[in-house]
Amino acid sequence: MAGAIDNLRLAAAVMAARAIALAVRLLRRGAGSVLPGSIARKIQPNALALLAAQVKQGAILVAGTNGKTTTALLLRSILENQGYRVTHNATGANLENGLTAALLADANWLGRLDRDFAILEVDENVLPKVLPQIRPRILLAMNLFRDQLDRYGEVDTIARRWERAIAPLSHTIAVLSADDPTLCHFGQQLEAQWEDLARVRYFGLSEPERFLPEIPHAVDSIYCPNCGHSLTYEGVYLSHLGDYHCPSCGFARSRPLLNSRDWPQLLVGIYNQYNAMAAATTAQALGIGEAPIQAAIRNFQAAFGRAESLTVQGKSVQILLSKNPVGTNETLRTVVELTRDRPFPPTVLLVLNDRTPDGTDVSWIWDADTEGLVATGATLVVSGDRAYDMALRLAYSDSDRPAGPATLSVETNPKAAIQNALDRLPDGETLYVLPTYSAMLEVREILTGRGIL
Amino acid sequence: MSLSALPTLSEPLVIGWLYPKLMSTYGDRGNVTCLQRRCEWRGIPVRVQPLDRDTDPSQFTQVDLIVGGGAQDRQQEIVMRDLQGAKAAALKGAIEAGVPGVFTCGAPQLLGHYYEPGLGQRIQGLGVLDLVTVHPGPDAPRCIGNLVLEVTAERLARELRLMLGDVPYLIGFENHGGRTKLGSVEPLARVVRGLGNNGEDQTEGAFHGNAIATYSHGPLLPKNPFLADWMIQTAIARRTGESCTLNRLDDSLADRARSVMLQRLSVG
Repeated sequence: MAGAIDNLRLAAAVMAARAIALAVRLLRRGAGSVLPGSIARKIQPNALALLAAQVKQGAILVAGTNGKTTTALLLRSILENQGYRVTHNATGANLENGLTAALLADANWLGRLDRDFAILEVDENVLPKVLPQIRPRILLAMNLFRDQLDRYGEVDTIARRWERAIAPLSHTIAVLSADDPTLCHFGQQLEAQWEDLARVRYFGLSEPERFLPEIPHAVDSIYCPNCGHSLTYEGVYLSHLGDYHCPSCGFARSRPLLNSRDWPQLLVGIYNQYNAMAAATTAQALGIGEAPIQAAIRNFQAAFGRAESLTVQGKSVQILLSKNPVGTNETLRTVVELTRDRPFPPTVLLVLNDRTPDGTDVSWIWDADTEGLVATGATLVVSGDRAYDMALRLAYSDSDRPAGPATLSVETNPKAAIQNALDRLPDGETLYVLPTYSAMLEVREILTGRGIL
Repeated sequence: MSLSALPTLSEPLVIGWLYPKLMSTYGDRGNVTCLQRRCEWRGIPVRVQPLDRDTDPSQFTQVDLIVGGGAQDRQQEIVMRDLQGAKAAALKGAIEAGVPGVFTCGAPQLLGHYYEPGLGQRIQGLGVLDLVTVHPGPDAPRCIGNLVLEVTAERLARELRLMLGDVPYLIGFENHGGRTKLGSVEPLARVVRGLGNNGEDQTEGAFHGNAIATYSHGPLLPKNPFLADWMIQTAIARRTGESCTLNRLDDSLADRARSVMLQRLSVG
């Protein structure tokens, strides 16, 4: 009886939410990816659980600071190539309402959802709340960096909350980064509690020749999550991700299931190799063979705003999302490497916003290693809500002038900034745009001449 | 303050950076970069000395400027385990002797009597500053947001007014779980926008000797370059025994960044 009432309420919730979604689309307002979820959850507070329970082969939750979207898209294409029907919160709305809205969008008017899988990117802070509701088949945890700590507190606290929320689930498989000490420790705790090694699987890199020459400054959890002693690193791939062990308590990196050396490179950059290994390890846990996974990696197109290439006014533009120090160090490294053998130093537009999706604290720019970019003599344009803060960071980056490098110009209006950067771009070269999240949406809208929602 | 030419230093100014790997949470190294570059831009010889776990305690006594940043609770505990004995005495001695320093977030907590984290044991501090910090628990809201402060610490405010010819406003960003209560130590500033030490008494930070303790990262110095110059000036005066005035630098980018934020927060 309770079940029947639950389903009636779900149907009512779905109808109201879908009407709202339709209205939002007709009125061309921007909140279409969240508002229906919020309405549905008011009418049926269990909407998320009831919808998720209908997904035939189960939900895959993707959590972590960097790489969620690219990994989710790769996983989706692997599953779709197998003929599965997949729901995915592709707009990046990853709080409870966004997750509900994504499932709703694929449900019929009665709240019936006919899908094989749901891939849901989940915000790290919301994960403990949604784990008991969704009871996923797989939790994929990518990494934990301290971006957006202004909202959430500290890496340790987040890992502790995750552990408490996932421990009681009886069937979930955890796919975790072996190279991130906090997540690896999290996995080892789960192995002990679950007493089932097959339910914890690790991914990581096994290519010591790609280690960084030294451990970069923007490093978080290099202390042993088990005993607090400083970890010994054999080497680091990026930030605190690498091969390590604790000389004091014996805690050590778990062995990844797959050898990354045997797998093709996804797009560019070491961070994308992590994304590939995460998706591959997850797909294998779902019983998919190596060959179709490798084919999907080779055929993968860049995700929205992440290493995305566009042609604007006949010129080549590449957008490299740069929303935190670790990600930004990687995109800076990529720009410098891609332009090393070009006839001109790079032309780069940096757009810094401090809105809620970006994190309101921009202090992280001082943890980004902008020195290398400035040293190339790059043509630099900065823009966004906090354009002058970014300009100041560049001025203090090894420039010999307090007023900033001579090649630097500040244009707070992103449209004018893009035009300025395009005008200064030498023929045949690529303009690299490094925006924060909300800035990426803005820049993309300007470059493509249309909105995204 | 008498106007005199910049004295030549025989040995570079030494910026002592407290536990760079353990205590650098929110761009705190920007304070080190700022002091270093502003010296370099003026031709003042300068070098950065990390004060780390493997650093000999004697190095702790050889610094002209000190920078300390924020830490997560676990890292803060590791620092306090190391900052004992000769190192603790040297750091205390330097602050009492008037070495200019800027201590952000976790750093002032460790200069106080103690810090009580949200989970776990109370961490004893050095007790240089008469203040205590208590974290109300992992579920309590953090103090987060843009900050505008008016420096009220008497001598510092006077000297900054002389430099600026104006009210010394500091701009930054706060993000802390702990709440700090001051004892007899003088507050650094009055909160104009934001929460400050505890969100209750309108005070922010503390000022003792020439040590600036604050919750304001941002980081603090690049956005408030006059404060960096005051520190450098004070360090040179301590070294040479003569007061000096630094030549002005082109701070137009910092000025614009400041006015954007002051306007947004409707200050001034």
